[in-house]
Amino acid sequence: MGPPGFSPGGRGGRGGSRGGFGGSRGGFGRSPGGRGGGGFGRSPGGRGRGRGGGGMRGGKKVIIEPHRHEGVFIARGKEDALVTMNMVPGEAVYGEKRIQVEEGETKLEYRVWNPFRSKLAAAILGGVDKIHMPPGTKVLYLGAASGTTVSHVSDVVGPEGLVYAVEFSQRSGRDLINMAKKRTNVIPIIEDARHPHKYRMLVGMVDTVFADVAQPDQARIVSLNAQHFLKNGGHFVISIKASCIDSTATPEAVFASEVKKLQADKLKPQEQITLEPYERDHAVVVGVFRPPPKGTGS
Amino acid sequence: MLVLFETAAGYAIFKLLDEKKLAKTENLYHDFQTPETASKVVKLKHFEKFHDTTEALSATTAAVEGKVSKSLKKLLKNVVAKAEATEQLLVADPKLGLAIKEKLQLQCISNTAVQELMRCIRCQMDALLAGLPSKDLAAMALGLAHSLSRYKLKFSPDKVDTMIVQAVGLLDDLDKELNNYIMRTREWYGWHFPELGKILNDNVLYVKVIKVIGTRDHALEADLSDILSEEVEAQVKEAAEISMGTEIAEEDILNIQHLCDQVIEISGYRAQLFDYLRSRMMAITPNLTILVGELVGARLIAHAGSLINLAKHPASTVQILGAEKALFRALKSNKETPKYGLIYHSALVGQTSSKLKGKISRMLAAKAALATRVDALGEDVGIELGAEHKLKIERRISILEEGKLHRISGTGRSQARFEKHHTKSEVRQYGDAQDFAIPTKRKVEIEEVGSGEAGPSQPKKKRKTDIGEQVVVKEEIKEEEEDVTVPKKKKKKKSLGAEASETVVTEMETFEESPKKKKKKIKQEIEEEQPEEVVSQFDESVGEKKKKKKKSLTAETEHGYEEAEEQIATPSSEKKKKKKRKSESME
Repeated sequence: MGPPGFSPGGRGGRGGSRGGFGGSRGGFGRSPGGRGGGGFGRSPGGRGRGRGGGGMRGGKKVIIEPHRHEGVFIARGKEDALVTMNMVPGEAVYGEKRIQVEEGETKLEYRVWNPFRSKLAAAILGGVDKIHMPPGTKVLYLGAASGTTVSHVSDVVGPEGLVYAVEFSQRSGRDLINMAKKRTNVIPIIEDARHPHKYRMLVGMVDTVFADVAQPDQARIVSLNAQHFLKNGGHFVISIKASCIDSTATPEAVFASEVKKLQADKLKPQEQITLEPYERDHAVVVGVFRPPPKGTGS
Repeated sequence: MLVLFETAAGYAIFKLLDEKKLAKTENLYHDFQTPETASKVVKLKHFEKFHDTTEALSATTAAVEGKVSKSLKKLLKNVVAKAEATEQLLVADPKLGLAIKEKLQLQCISNTAVQELMRCIRCQMDALLAGLPSKDLAAMALGLAHSLSRYKLKFSPDKVDTMIVQAVGLLDDLDKELNNYIMRTREWYGWHFPELGKILNDNVLYVKVIKVIGTRDHALEADLSDILSEEVEAQVKEAAEISMGTEIAEEDILNIQHLCDQVIEISGYRAQLFDYLRSRMMAITPNLTILVGELVGARLIAHAGSLINLAKHPASTVQILGAEKALFRALKSNKETPKYGLIYHSALVGQTSSKLKGKISRMLAAKAALATRVDALGEDVGIELGAEHKLKIERRISILEEGKLHRISGTGRSQARFEKHHTKSEVRQYGDAQDFAIPTKRKVEIEEVGSGEAGPSQPKKKRKTDIGEQVVVKEEIKEEEEDVTVPKKKKKKKSLGAEASETVVTEMETFEESPKKKKKKIKQEIEEEQPEEVVSQFDESVGEKKKKKKKSLTAETEHGYEEAEEQIATPSSEKKKKKKRKSESME
């Protein structure tokens, strides 16, 4: 079950002492302060050493530290990467690199989250304040495609949470179902998100709605789904592609108009960031649905 | 008011305790904040659990389409029977509401207020559905979602291509094993009765015969009529008597017969497997099957690994799949690469001449690649593509095989010029008239011949009709026949035969060439020139005998009917006869 890509010899690592932890070659037992000693400060809650992966040369040790967002981690090595803990150890969903870490007796595996392929990862790396998907959350994911980001969301919410993945395309739906077979907290729904009443039997109330549908009537889709399934005070995270809504207008104007539409449907926006440098003319809007009136508390 | 709430576990009917709440729904959520307050607004009246996943699946699909499923219908009937007739039912889907109204005459309401109510119920679903643990519900939802998705994606088991790969592998294995067993049987039994092996070349027959006759001594009484034909059976029996094989014991023959049983069983199974493979291929990749055939298609898929893999290969790869060893060897040593791989065994490539196999293999590979892609990645495909492509290729084959006889563009002149230099084989056919030995004498033809010999009038006649021309020619023939003396008969017969054949040809030819042919004819039969001249001297002096004989003659020749009629008529002037002939030929 060992990761195939990682060789103990560390091909690229020889002589490449870049300072920090990356430079040291050899066994696990080395103390972290081997080289520059700057490592300790960096990882107070570090999960111990891991063999390199994810853009790093095989065999390098990396340190896993938790991210500000719960359920998300950072792998620090020669290059830093955003990772999530793999719920199905030993398997990659879309060919991403995996990092193995030994913590005491337990072996943990982390999967690298590629921000160029996933809008949510790009948003996290862009510094969004809250993603509202702590472990144990129920998430309604609209526009699940082949399930690459859905698998990461599933890792983040953990076995206690639930991800309802809605995807209309049949070809992508097949891959989604195959992914969902392995992960029991993903419920695949092959339906049009424009008609939430069609899958009302399968979905309960959710805490967060994530939408990456890339449709011109995106705002309506999200509001319909929110009305059906999003609890009061629940949050939404929407990825807006400007060229999809209106290719002639400027992106800022498009984002502003979308936000207005959302506000009309009681979806109150709280923050908006662009996904530079990972995507062009994309923005992510995070907000709350039917916020509880101030004074009563949520 | 009753509320219909569908869940993954089953249908729930709630009773709305306070109907006024519906009027003002903005603060409805307040009432549903805790389970206790929620239970004050709605009360669970009835919960109909789904008995198994199939029932749940059918119920969900019906809900998706907005139809009333059987279980829902039953439930509503029971509930409505108990409740008053004026009860209204609140449903989430207006379409479903309409359907219920139609079928059960139950008033249904579905508006935004109802949606709000549904929302609130959903929030407190766990509490309100008291008898159902939430984990159960989640598990059911998961299972239902998977089965529903499968149903949507039409994950039909006959679309799995692994079966094909395995079946082809098994077919090859079976063939090998069968061959081994048969060789062993032949060798083993050959000790006892070697001549049988030489008589019967077909393996299955051989084995069957062994089963029937056992040892040689039983061969005489044995009845092999339903396995073998009479002569072969006789041969076998004869050989059994004079065989030079050794004797073997009962035990030995028993074992050999067990082996024969195995062989028969395996060959039967192989045939069955082949049928299975064909039906699977037609179900999974209809277009590819039509183009290259079932076995070749199955081998291609097996070679590529899966149908999707085969679809990813470019057409040039499909062309040489199976000839990798030759390909890489040629690439390394900078030689000519192979032109075909597994595709060579397809029917279309097999039926062309060896010069064209390379071209056709390339064309077929291109179309096969397209067909594979359509089959692998398309949804609900028919067989039109495969049939169309096959037709195209067959047409192309026929055009190529003809050679370059046709110019696709250009005037007809070039074709005529082309034909001038193109030798046409003259087909000589045996004339029926050759059979007739009795000479005939006809009066009528003489005149025609006389006129026919005149050069300018000949072409005129011919221009009128081909049949007319042929008539003239034939009459010439007949005329030559008339003037028969015994030695000349034979010569005339020959010439008659030749001329009869030439008449067949002359019909096809153009105007200019026919007089040439006639001249040729005349030149060929130099001997007959004399009799022709002799005949021409005859005039009406020829008696009626000729007419009769002409009648009989014409009955044998191809277009004799018209002429027979003509000859019956009394001899009249040439022109009249020509006219008659013309009119008849016009008919």
